[in-house]
Amino acid sequence: MNLVQSLFRLDYGGKIEREIARLISMFDEMKFDVGRYPQRWLAIKLLEADADILERVRNIPNGEKIIASAQQGAEKLKSMLGDDVDLLTADRRYGYINGVVRQSFHRPKLDRITLTDRIDDIVTHKWLGLPVFFAVMYIVFRLVIDVSSPFLDWTDAVINGPLAHWFSLLLDLAAAPAWIHSLVVEAVIGGVGGVLVFVPGLLILYFFLALLEDSGYMSRAAFVMDRFMRVVGLHGKSFIPMILGFGCAVPAVYATRTIASRRDRILTALLVPLMSCSARLPVYVVFGLAFFGARAGTVIWAMYALGIVVAMVAGMVFTRTILKPDVSSAFVLELPPYRQPALKSVLIHMWENTREFVRKAGTTILFASLVMWLLLNLPWGVENQRDSYFGKVSGVIAPVFTPLGFGGWETGGALVTGFMAKEIVVSTMSQIYLGDEEAQASEPKTIGEDLIGIGQGFMDATVRSGRILLSIIPGVNLMVEDAQGEDTALSLALQKQFTPLSAMAFLVFVLLYVPCVATLGAIKHEFGMSWAVTSAVYQTAVAWVAAFVVYQGGRLLGLG
Amino acid sequence: MSESTQLHLLKPGQKATITRINGESALRRRFVEMGIVKGETILIERNAPMGDPVEYFIKGYHLALRKEEAAQIEVTLQRGANG
Repeated sequence: MNLVQSLFRLDYGGKIEREIARLISMFDEMKFDVGRYPQRWLAIKLLEADADILERVRNIPNGEKIIASAQQGAEKLKSMLGDDVDLLTADRRYGYINGVVRQSFHRPKLDRITLTDRIDDIVTHKWLGLPVFFAVMYIVFRLVIDVSSPFLDWTDAVINGPLAHWFSLLLDLAAAPAWIHSLVVEAVIGGVGGVLVFVPGLLILYFFLALLEDSGYMSRAAFVMDRFMRVVGLHGKSFIPMILGFGCAVPAVYATRTIASRRDRILTALLVPLMSCSARLPVYVVFGLAFFGARAGTVIWAMYALGIVVAMVAGMVFTRTILKPDVSSAFVLELPPYRQPALKSVLIHMWENTREFVRKAGTTILFASLVMWLLLNLPWGVENQRDSYFGKVSGVIAPVFTPLGFGGWETGGALVTGFMAKEIVVSTMSQIYLGDEEAQASEPKTIGEDLIGIGQGFMDATVRSGRILLSIIPGVNLMVEDAQGEDTALSLALQKQFTPLSAMAFLVFVLLYVPCVATLGAIKHEFGMSWAVTSAVYQTAVAWVAAFVVYQGGRLLGLG
Repeated sequence: MSESTQLHLLKPGQKATITRINGESALRRRFVEMGIVKGETILIERNAPMGDPVEYFIKGYHLALRKEEAAQIEVTLQRGANG
């Protein structure tokens, strides 16, 4: 027993003290080994029915007997004193604290209006609260998505350019066989690239999340948005991940870490992939321009809206079935005083979270990339995709999509590759329909030139990102500027394969079907395999049904 | 002492004394952890823009609760206090 304990003991009152003494003598009698816990403390926790302690005691010999006896004692106290033991002991503790405070501390007048009060008058104001919140979200969204994108392109270019180039030179030196060459360059470097591409975005995301959290604004955002999010069964804090989902679901899934209740986090992560991420936009643009011409914008807008509607319905369904709200979802939230975030803690936050993503979600992505490489290259020496295992798998899957209006193996194949990343749907289609894209003209470069190129690329990315940063302030040009980059050859090929109706069904399917492997990796990392599987299965099922309704419904209406 | 009411029925600016805490034991424990206990004075500060949740001032700090949860807390209104 240490000094502090021996000097200080809070008196819980005769009746409770008697029960504590009874339990302690029972520990002694049964030679009950309480390990590192002091006996008195353990007796109090057992009377309070502390869930964590009950769990531990249950596994010690004689634990069940002791628990049963403590329960009897607690019942008796409740009938005598009219309240649960945990409330009675808390009363005693707070009573003691109040006494100490009254004797030793003179509270200054509380009428003084603090800076925090003044900020809150604006930030949680009846009319201003929501606009301020949306403005903050808009800025964070633009910063995370847009400012990171030049760096993202740079990472991608470095990995697939110089890095891949160096590795092939090394392999050539070692006279490695062609298949090793292909494995390393396409699967390993491609896979690592697929992981690292997220790093710039994640670093920036975590930076701003840490700022919002440490400054104290996050609690105000939750306070302001809670009523709205509750309609769908979510918590006020779920809003930020949902917004980020429009950029990329991977950082959005990680952003759920700011939510305290596990149940709320899981539900948020299940709904986040329904926010149409930026990788799906190229698919909408290509199909929109090929089939809907001037109305392409409306179609794209409808996809975003549909994602939100489906998320709301899914949220309500989950809340009533497998994710019922529990007490941990109760909204008991402290609104701390505003503070200036400490740079060091912000940096640690950024670094630790990003490192964890690379380590955990990275393995999933790398593994999927290897599997995909095998499917595309087996049996050995396949010439075109149709004859590879990939083509065969696609052919087997394809009939599933026939009722949705797109049953060709090419479409099936594109959807399978879309599992790696949704934007690949378009590049697979153009590869299959138009043959291989012209091999990239990469003149052999020296390592020195490569290094200079990397450095220049980074400078360019910084400059571009700085420009974007400036353009955020007036808040202009939110929408896609590069929508005019239409690929007419692909459009013509697509028009042979799809009708406008089946194209619409296809877009609905692409919007809703299985989240990409990186997102599933993130969900698995955060919540375990079964939730990742749940996410994949429910979204694919919803996608199939929705596309079916669109296609068959459209045909009934005579649109097809 | 005025008659007993529930915390969520009070308006911003009002001040009350907590008399009783209802609800499931896990929720009550949560309340107790946050300092919501019998005899404590609680000040109603402001409603969120959509009316719910509500911000309170208790034990020298600011706390937000949904009305649904605040309904579990019984209070008596303090009159004449400088609220």
